[in-house]
Amino acid sequence: MTVEIRKAASGGLWKHRHFYLFIAPFFLLFAIFGLYPLLFSLYLSFVKWDGLTPAHWVGLSNFQKMLGDDQLWTALGNTVVIGLLYVPPMMILAFLFAQWLNAPWLKFKALYRAAFFIPCVTPMAVIAFVFQLIFSSEHGVLNYALQHLFPWLHLSPIPWLESESWSKAAIAILVVWRWTGYNMVLMLAGLQGIPADYYEAAELDGASKIQQMLHITLPLLRPTLAFCGLLSLLGTLYMFDEIFVMTNGGPGSSSTNFGMYLFQISFDDFRLGYASCVAYSVSITVIVATTLMNRANRRALDEGRR
Amino acid sequence: MKTYQRSLAWLAAALLVTAVIGAVIHSATRLPAAASAPLAALPADQVSGDVTVWSWSPAADSLEAIKPGFQKRDPNVHVHIVTGARMITRLMLSLSAGVGAPDVTQLQRSDAPHYIATEQFEDLTPVAQKYQALFPKSVWNDCMLNGRVYAIPWDIGPCAVYYKKDTFAKYGIDPSEIHTWYDYIAAGQVILKKSGGRTKMLSMGSTALANMYEMLIQQNGGQIFDAQGRVAVDSPQSQQALGIIRKIVQSGISANIQPFGPEYLAGFNSDSLATYVNAVWLEATMKGMVESYPGPKAQWGVFRLPSMTPGGPYVSSLGGSVLAIPKQCKNKAAAWAFIEYALCTNEGQIGMYEKGIYPGLLPALDAKEMDEPDKFFGGQPVGRLFAADVDKMNPLNRTADYGQASRYLTQALSQWYADGVPNRDVLGPLARRMSRALDRPIAPSTIGSAQ
Amino acid sequence: MNPTRKWRRTVERGAIYAILTIFALVFLFPFYWLLISAFKTQGQMFAMPPQWIPHPATLQNFSDLFHKTNLPRAFVNSVIVSGANVFFSVFLCSLAGYAFAKYPLAPGRDRLYNFVLGTMLIPSAVTLIPSYMILVRLHWIDSYAALIVPGLVGAFGIFWMRQYMIANVPDDLINAARIDGCSEFGIYWRIVVPVARPALAALGIMQLIGSWNNLMWAFIVLRTKDMYTLPLVIYLLNGENTQPYGMLMAGGLLTTLPLVLAFLFFQKQFIAGITSGAVKQ
Repeated sequence: MTVEIRKAASGGLWKHRHFYLFIAPFFLLFAIFGLYPLLFSLYLSFVKWDGLTPAHWVGLSNFQKMLGDDQLWTALGNTVVIGLLYVPPMMILAFLFAQWLNAPWLKFKALYRAAFFIPCVTPMAVIAFVFQLIFSSEHGVLNYALQHLFPWLHLSPIPWLESESWSKAAIAILVVWRWTGYNMVLMLAGLQGIPADYYEAAELDGASKIQQMLHITLPLLRPTLAFCGLLSLLGTLYMFDEIFVMTNGGPGSSSTNFGMYLFQISFDDFRLGYASCVAYSVSITVIVATTLMNRANRRALDEGRR
Repeated sequence: MKTYQRSLAWLAAALLVTAVIGAVIHSATRLPAAASAPLAALPADQVSGDVTVWSWSPAADSLEAIKPGFQKRDPNVHVHIVTGARMITRLMLSLSAGVGAPDVTQLQRSDAPHYIATEQFEDLTPVAQKYQALFPKSVWNDCMLNGRVYAIPWDIGPCAVYYKKDTFAKYGIDPSEIHTWYDYIAAGQVILKKSGGRTKMLSMGSTALANMYEMLIQQNGGQIFDAQGRVAVDSPQSQQALGIIRKIVQSGISANIQPFGPEYLAGFNSDSLATYVNAVWLEATMKGMVESYPGPKAQWGVFRLPSMTPGGPYVSSLGGSVLAIPKQCKNKAAAWAFIEYALCTNEGQIGMYEKGIYPGLLPALDAKEMDEPDKFFGGQPVGRLFAADVDKMNPLNRTADYGQASRYLTQALSQWYADGVPNRDVLGPLARRMSRALDRPIAPSTIGSAQ
Repeated sequence: MNPTRKWRRTVERGAIYAILTIFALVFLFPFYWLLISAFKTQGQMFAMPPQWIPHPATLQNFSDLFHKTNLPRAFVNSVIVSGANVFFSVFLCSLAGYAFAKYPLAPGRDRLYNFVLGTMLIPSAVTLIPSYMILVRLHWIDSYAALIVPGLVGAFGIFWMRQYMIANVPDDLINAARIDGCSEFGIYWRIVVPVARPALAALGIMQLIGSWNNLMWAFIVLRTKDMYTLPLVIYLLNGENTQPYGMLMAGGLLTTLPLVLAFLFFQKQFIAGITSGAVKQ
């Protein structure tokens, strides 16, 4: 340490001043819009404040309130349900699409890729309204299609946006539509990173396509899948635009996820102290959980290599 | 050990940097000042300037309609009416930012106490006192804090039952024979049966339950908060209201349709719904939607709200709104001039009534315009029907927490709706949850949930 | 290869083509619906059976939209905000990424870089309220700066740029320029930027999408009509009680179009950018 400091003092810092200059903008902005908010938010967790009248110190009472806040637990529960509804179909679709788009014999690749990917570049403020029309139970094209494509099921119109139990499914469909292409592209990159001779060797050994997928593709794609999974997890928790525009968290609070709930207590109710407390607690829990998950995942990966 | 020391040093450095930034931000900046010159009513020829008004449609259209009349009275004031989604959230953001709030804003009457409590609205007492007797008492209740006036009542929302005359005639129902909610349910069952299950009596989605509940407790004098602001939802009146809602749901005459969703709007002209139980302000949306549908139009009529007991109190109201002036407003005299014309004169209120906004001003309710036959309702003078007994309405004590409380209420009721738990298991826990979340005690007079 | 196997392969491939095509059509359907709904009246939108092609088609929605909102102004606002955001963030992220990639001897470099990566863990949910309050105190609410500055230099962009520079910018090139007497910034500007152009384009598109589509932050910090961006204008068309679907569709179409075009033009760079940045480490 002493050596390093002496070296630094003798001109290391000055000599590399350009380095510090080039990275300075990040640190400056981070200090103002990252670090300071982080600490200010911590302080807010212990006060009651509406942003207008003076704040009151309330100690731990925000944390106490949080434990008894059914709406928070409902929102977290909804987050889990929405996640469970959309992550498996999305990942499976993305994986299959990636697998097929990676095949050398497939033509019109760019076209297919664009079709699947384009949903995630479009503004949610717009698309959610289109889905409102599509999901309309008596006058929507989705129910119309379901009833006419599968007449033998005798479906009654599904109240996608009207019923507490279907609204989550509607959100899940929207999310699958929007994010499958994105995950597909990530997986496609992962697949392209797997050397072709692995498959050739397996082919020679007489391994079937399914065996190849189980023993080569999936294990080697594991980091990518983990990355996609993590993105989806955080995405579900903090998802906002989709819900804000399409269902506004309703009906009731049936499609209110954590992100929507946080917005409500922050900017509908202006309970800024309590909102900070909730944001802090949940975020820290999530960070700890993902770190543990990552570590377990890495360990499993190392063992797999051995 | 060394790494430990080093991380401590880093942490200390980070804290120091943050403290410095915080100090700089705090000392180099200040919160935007809200207040400007105080309000005073000026004679018309001395008022001038621009006034921006936030209002939601269709109410905004009625303000638009009376602009010419106001222009005649105050030729130098120019009024701009602005509409848009989530106005209230944007209003709060504007109040807290000290920038962006309009000169005059519409507030839901039920939300008014919440916003008044932020101390961001102009005290209107000096100019508004003389109008106090001209509005129903139940309405003023939401415009005042500690005896001072911060908002002026705009429209009120007396409720009644809108019904499709053709449907009622087809199934042989006479609306004049529906006096109580039990009569109403029985009629609904007839329609349901004769239409083969196709036509439901009313829409009552889970999110509409809280409205229905609020409408019913006004009939029997129930409260969500008592006069001291204590939680009073767990009461016999609430039980009675839930009893009626349950009866409606169990009889199968209600459709699970959320208010103002596509199905709700489509029902105005299709055979899926026979009635809408709602406030007078639904008229505007209803007329607009029915007109927009191609082909034959549904024939609508209105009858009095059913009561809980034969001959018992029936009046009730939902919604309604007020106008208020944020302290940010730069030209308060002009803002007040517009409010005064729009809300406190018969000319303004009747002008807006022509556009479907129902006046809260009592003299306007006595005006002959209320007796005019309404072509949309087959010549029925519905204005008079809604005006009956508005001064007898039971006021609700809303408190600053009403918005939050009604969200808890909606949640509890929709859960009750979905799970079908007994009535008494809803209100007790709901009262306790409200009490905990809002830091308000439970009113002693209410019944225990053990009962 | 025997005939049965060949036949089986043909069937398999045909099935895959069929599935992909069906799904592609399903994924594109909402865009089609947006396009045709923009030319329908409210009644036509709710018509049953659905009108697959609006008949008669109407331009009323567009004229209503231009009458009711200041769409050209919103378009200009969106262009200014997105343009500034893209330009500055690509510039600053690549500058920092370059520094982290190519100054191995600067004291504290690794620790600073780890710190940058660590900031990715901070969810914006936690910093949302204080950031808003800072903007209030800076009197930046309702200004372009409020939309542009806070999210300007993200850790993700720096990480991405650094990865690209390590893999694609040869040290020899930099050293040669340095010997020729090129200034440090000159090296970045004249040597590094041209080489890193694909990565810059990809980051630029990412930023463009994020910033063009941004609704929540625009909703929070923009207060007056003249400052509204396109998504906010569209969103605010909603009334409290009614939704003017006609205008929403017309406005939605106009908001979506530029972005879809940008994506189709830069598809290659964009896909390359996402994959090189996110996965390969």
